[in-house]
Amino acid sequence: MVVSDRFESKVSSVFSDSGGDLVIRVTGNFDFNMHREFQRAYRNVSPPPERFLVDLSETDHLDSAALGMLLLLRDYCAELGSGGVQPTVELLNANAHVSHILSVSNFDRIFSIR
Amino acid sequence: MPSFRVLIVESDTCEMAELCQLIESWEYASSSGDTLPASLHTSHSVLAALDAYNEVQPHLVIFGPQAAATATAAEIRRLRQSGGVEPVPILFVQDLTGLESSPAPPTLCDDILTKPYSLPLVQLKLASIRRFGEFNRSLMAQRDRLRRHHADFLQEQASAREIFGNLGNESCLDDTPGIRYHLSPRAVLNGDLLAATHTPDGKLVLMLGDFSGHGLAAAVGAVPLTSIFYSMIPRGFAMSRVLREINRKLYSILPRQMFCCLAMLELDPRRQHLRLLNAGMPSPCLKRSSGELYMLESRHLPLGVLSSDQIDTAIVNVRVRPGDRLFLWSDGIHEARNSQGEHFGESRLLNLLREDNGDDAQSFDRILVAVNAHAAEQHDDLSLVELDLTHPSLRKTDLPALGNGEGRKGGRVGEWSIQLTLSHEELRTTDPLPHLLSVLVQMPGAVRFQEDLAIALGELFRNALEHGVLELDSAIKSTDEGFVHYYDLMAQRRGQLDEGWVRISLSSSEGDSGGELTLVVEDSGSGFPEVREAAGAYAGRGLKLLQTVCEEVRFEPGSSRIEATIRWGKGPVRGDAGKTRGNAMQNPPLPV
Repeated sequence: MVVSDRFESKVSSVFSDSGGDLVIRVTGNFDFNMHREFQRAYRNVSPPPERFLVDLSETDHLDSAALGMLLLLRDYCAELGSGGVQPTVELLNANAHVSHILSVSNFDRIFSIR
Repeated sequence: MPSFRVLIVESDTCEMAELCQLIESWEYASSSGDTLPASLHTSHSVLAALDAYNEVQPHLVIFGPQAAATATAAEIRRLRQSGGVEPVPILFVQDLTGLESSPAPPTLCDDILTKPYSLPLVQLKLASIRRFGEFNRSLMAQRDRLRRHHADFLQEQASAREIFGNLGNESCLDDTPGIRYHLSPRAVLNGDLLAATHTPDGKLVLMLGDFSGHGLAAAVGAVPLTSIFYSMIPRGFAMSRVLREINRKLYSILPRQMFCCLAMLELDPRRQHLRLLNAGMPSPCLKRSSGELYMLESRHLPLGVLSSDQIDTAIVNVRVRPGDRLFLWSDGIHEARNSQGEHFGESRLLNLLREDNGDDAQSFDRILVAVNAHAAEQHDDLSLVELDLTHPSLRKTDLPALGNGEGRKGGRVGEWSIQLTLSHEELRTTDPLPHLLSVLVQMPGAVRFQEDLAIALGELFRNALEHGVLELDSAIKSTDEGFVHYYDLMAQRRGQLDEGWVRISLSSSEGDSGGELTLVVEDSGSGFPEVREAAGAYAGRGLKLLQTVCEEVRFEPGSSRIEATIRWGKGPVRGDAGKTRGNAMQNPPLPV
């Protein structure tokens, strides 16, 4: 897998207006270089949100390391859910290229994609 | 040696005393928090200083006014060389007493102390030299540590490369011109892997995988994957069974964010049948001799993501036609970026494949050249495989691993019989071939006909299961869509099987002059049809195959029992078995 830091990328997270959802937006290339930032974006959010919405509208590209990070987020939800209601993960607004990558990996079977 | 050591060179005793007093009045804070004076060493000449140098190992050398005025460039150079790689600053004392203007500072030294001495200035200089010296030494220590780590790392990589190189020793990738492949040099430790081997009944199984992540961690995952592959496939385990085992293993050992995208294919060169599972890899491309391209897109999650799997339903079946080629690649090709950050992508690749109608043999090289030209700046991992699906060399009749060179001579096979009955529950998933073959490898002489037996058993079992128990009609396979439909239907019916059985009996008898192995396969189905309509081009293929490996094949219309015999030693041997086969040929074509 390619690791490149030549292209600008960043992660931001904000609570939705209703407060129940945490929207994580990944800009640029979602790849191995993002893993710290991405983890920071969803960990230790208190109280935990009902849904993690990963907004991919600004994501240009997604590699297998990013898919791995989504799996970690999914696991984290299961961990949070052990004490109560399990948060869900939804992937939003993927462009054609990113959707293609998600469907090649058949990740649509384990994530809800809108 | 925690002290700050200063070596003073001066021939004049008074000057020396003054310098010593000056330096002794300065104290520095050591790393332990104490304030300490510098430790002083004195030499009266450069020669004496050179002699003392190694013993003293100074952090700073000061030349007094006399010594500074007389030192030669050669002497200073020798002194500097004594210090080795660690830069030791040299200070000259310049006597400005009685001079109207400052003389040009000598360039042999690193800095000067001016006389008359100004205590605060001297202290400032000593303190800053000490600080820079410490800084420098810690940098050098770090550099040395990094060098050591790097050397260790290279050594580890070399060992890992060797291990991964050896993993490939079992592959048959280089045995046939029907397979061409390119793995980038980085691939070994980059998570891409390619493996190929034969099943006992002569099918070629090839896999191209790509672990998420990179470096050693990704490559380590290749070890269990490859070892499962090379131990199960040659023993006759079905592709879906092997894939299930791989998924189970990877799921249990990989960290959660790691998984493996994998394409595995099984090519039966005799039946011209290709089966392929794509779990997250870029779609392999089937190029028909007519020039049409078919993409075999991923129908499964990458392996190691979920503990459960739907491997059976995700395997696609393709009928192979003369001249068909299959291209597989890892996403290194899609992701190869040029200096503008633009990906090479799938469409460029397909255009290359599409354009190339004249000389197919060159597609492979043209793709590699194009990708490398595109990604001129960064050579990423890229793997490319081309399989000439109908290349005659893929249709091997004896496997080198089995050492079939001795023909039908060998140890005694013996007198024995075994019987195995599989109930409907077993038939859903079990594959009897490896179990029966594992019994047979215990017989020293069995190696002679292991492949024939594997082919015969495979054909007979498939026939009993597909037509007897699952009641599938070979005629469905006559069109391309039907071919795919047939296998989808089989996976579906097999998964829902709630009645039926298949019984397999093997018996061997051997005398002085030779012996025979008889296979009897029965099933719960309604039996072979009385009269068959003109069989499609692909039905009846199984029977012909059976007849090439068995001396005799016997069955009755209306019965679901079929008997096949393999003979060795004296008597009719394979090769001139045409006459004995006559019997079988009079039977109606068997819908295998």
